[in-house]
Amino acid sequence: MFLSKIWFFLIALVAAIALTIALTLPRPAQRHFVEEEHKRLSIACGVVDIQLADDARKRLELTGTFARSEDIVKALTAASGADKIDEARMKPARDTAEKVMTAVSGRKPDFAVLIDKRGRVVASVNLDQNDPGDVVAGRPLVDDALAGYLRDDLWTRNGTMYFVTASPVIKRDAPVEYVGAVVLGHQVTNDLAKFLVKTLDVELEFYMGKDAVAGSKSLAIDASQMLPRVKALTDPDRGKDCLAEPLEVTSGKESYTEIERRLPGEAGARGAFYSVLIQRPSTIGFMGTLHGVKKSDLTPGRFPWHFVGAGFVIVLAIGIALMMMEADRPLKRLTADAVKLAKGESERLSEDAHGGKFGSIARSVNIHIDKVSREAKTAKKDIDALLGPAPEGSLGTIDLLATALPSARPGGPAPAASAPPSDFKFSAPPPAPTPPPASFKPSGPPASIPKPAAAPPPKPAAPAPPAPPTRAPTPPPVAMPAAAPAAPSLLGGLGDSLDDDILGGLGLSNSGPTTGLSNPAIAAPEPAGKLGSTADGEAHFRQVYEQFLTVKKTCGEPTAGLSFEKFSEKLVKNRDDLMAKTGCKEVRFTVYVKEGKAALKATPVKDE
Amino acid sequence: MTFLVRVAVFGTAMFVGGAAVAGPVSGKLDLTAATAERPPAATKGWLDRVENPLAPARPVNVTSQMIVVLDGAKPSSPGQVTWELVGESFGHPVMGAPAGAEVLIKNLSGTARTLIAAEDPKLIPAGPLNPKGSKSFRTTEANKIYTVSDSEAVHLKGKLVVVDSQYVTTVDEGGKFEFGEVAEGSYKLRIFYKDGWLDGTTDVVVGAKGKTEVNPKVPALTASAKK
Repeated sequence: MFLSKIWFFLIALVAAIALTIALTLPRPAQRHFVEEEHKRLSIACGVVDIQLADDARKRLELTGTFARSEDIVKALTAASGADKIDEARMKPARDTAEKVMTAVSGRKPDFAVLIDKRGRVVASVNLDQNDPGDVVAGRPLVDDALAGYLRDDLWTRNGTMYFVTASPVIKRDAPVEYVGAVVLGHQVTNDLAKFLVKTLDVELEFYMGKDAVAGSKSLAIDASQMLPRVKALTDPDRGKDCLAEPLEVTSGKESYTEIERRLPGEAGARGAFYSVLIQRPSTIGFMGTLHGVKKSDLTPGRFPWHFVGAGFVIVLAIGIALMMMEADRPLKRLTADAVKLAKGESERLSEDAHGGKFGSIARSVNIHIDKVSREAKTAKKDIDALLGPAPEGSLGTIDLLATALPSARPGGPAPAASAPPSDFKFSAPPPAPTPPPASFKPSGPPASIPKPAAAPPPKPAAPAPPAPPTRAPTPPPVAMPAAAPAAPSLLGGLGDSLDDDILGGLGLSNSGPTTGLSNPAIAAPEPAGKLGSTADGEAHFRQVYEQFLTVKKTCGEPTAGLSFEKFSEKLVKNRDDLMAKTGCKEVRFTVYVKEGKAALKATPVKDE
Repeated sequence: MTFLVRVAVFGTAMFVGGAAVAGPVSGKLDLTAATAERPPAATKGWLDRVENPLAPARPVNVTSQMIVVLDGAKPSSPGQVTWELVGESFGHPVMGAPAGAEVLIKNLSGTARTLIAAEDPKLIPAGPLNPKGSKSFRTTEANKIYTVSDSEAVHLKGKLVVVDSQYVTTVDEGGKFEFGEVAEGSYKLRIFYKDGWLDGTTDVVVGAKGKTEVNPKVPALTASAKK
């Protein structure tokens, strides 16, 4: 898995680098784009002003055309000599001005004003702001024109902005003299704004303060944010206005970058300016770049699809190969080994055949197998140490009393070994080994706890054929085999009657040949009660005690010194120990005959 | 006076300080040295103004920005001074008034104006001066110069000069001036141009009877004027 992890790390690293590049790369382009946008704005701003200056020259030439009109010269000469300008004097002068205006080809002025040399309005066309005789001298444009200068200016009136030009009117016949001036005005309109920017790919708006006067496009821009910027423009050279930092404004959902330039003249002195705008792209940055991708950018000729595809396949193949090499195949091998283990074809997983983590898994499993085995042995040893060795193969039952074993098995030599340590005695040390009762013959049939009539008498020396010893009546519940069981046959019969519950509770399989003590043929029929209440327990103990006493007597064992108190005390202790050891809920005690002696076995009962 | 100068000065009293009125004082300014260059245009468009090729430009009218004063007689009955607003400018861009005189501004144009004195915004009653309407106020402090303008018309500006004299008048385009009836006595004639007093004074002695003629020489206007 190491190589797979390295590979994954490398892919993640490359992906992170690619993402970083993808997010970062548009920024220089964006900066460049913004700078270019600013340059475009500045250039467009300057070009608009150049166009307006050029337009001013053309308008000034047109004003000269008016000023040179003989009819206008005559009208103004006459008016300058009059004390009062009345309607009679104004009308012919206005007719003359209208005639000249009509004769103008191309862009016509929106208004014309004829002024005598005293500064009085003689006639005006398309402009009703001045009554005949009104003095317009005092306005710089008019004063300069009356003084003999040609010039232009910007006027505003009632929310309308005019580009105005003025020219002196001179009587060229001797004596040459100034007789007045003519003023022409061209309204600033949307059409004019469109005309000015038609080749610039920008928008143009004229403002008088915060009020939009005209524009190349209908925009709803809050001009109040521009006013502080316009006020901050104080350099006498208006050309520097176009170099200011652009401002981002919005019109509805559209975003624009704009730059302002003050307008000259009277209107400029009152805060008039124009704004050049460029619409910004809807999004910028990484997403803006993505949106800006065109189909043509993805054609095979422009995009290295082959390289990308080959790279993808190689990366994918390496990743799959590493996964197969480091994960799939080892896992498959481990699975096969596990199947063998489950089938019993092997006792352990092969650790050497698996490397890395899979080898660790195999080792862990093996360790656990070993541990379970050890625990099983330890459990058996503990039980044996506690209660004495159970009959061979009877892992789930525990002999409590095996002290009464005869020194010699019936029909055979007496056991050399002493009683197991777990055996306990309720009397004085056992007597010297006595010969097994005559009834205990190895070849004899299995005998149950002998009934009083059938039980063989404990006469060790009697070599008589097996016959149940004569005994006093025994308590009815005890159903021991009639003939005292011979140990071998008894043990052999027990193997088939192992208590499954006990085996399950110990977690051991009863795979081997075992001998149990639950063989109904030799076990007391139901001496082992379940210890419910204390009273039940005591009754059970007493029942077991009586059975034990009976069997003991039957086997010819001495019962002197055996009292119920000691007996029950021992049972309680062993029961508690066994319950603590095995975790069982109850312990069932059974009386049986072991090697010619009465014995007790304790059977842990885990479940009801 | 020229047609542009439509200012009436009513500050002349028949009796000054109890002295008997001797007669009018008039004269003509010698403007031979009073030539002025045309100032830069107050406003300009995209183009610089260009002199026409057919005739030389007309000289600057300096007299419209002059007033003359006879010092030597404190204003005992300053009276009323009328200052006319004609079209796009004051009829006389520079107006003199004795201290304590009532100044009456008449708007003879068709455009409403909102006038204000830069040096004392409360001097002129607030509110628009409607066409054909008037506003009056009284000057109190002598030797003060007020700049009156309309913020809506950058070209509309006038100077009001408050003098500590009973006799002050304007000058017509030809340089002529007239004080009307002046009490007998000795006076000094001073000239105010544009925004300050010109150097030098002219002694004027008004006799008990008859008309007094005085023709002071106006110094070069390029010299610094005393404000």
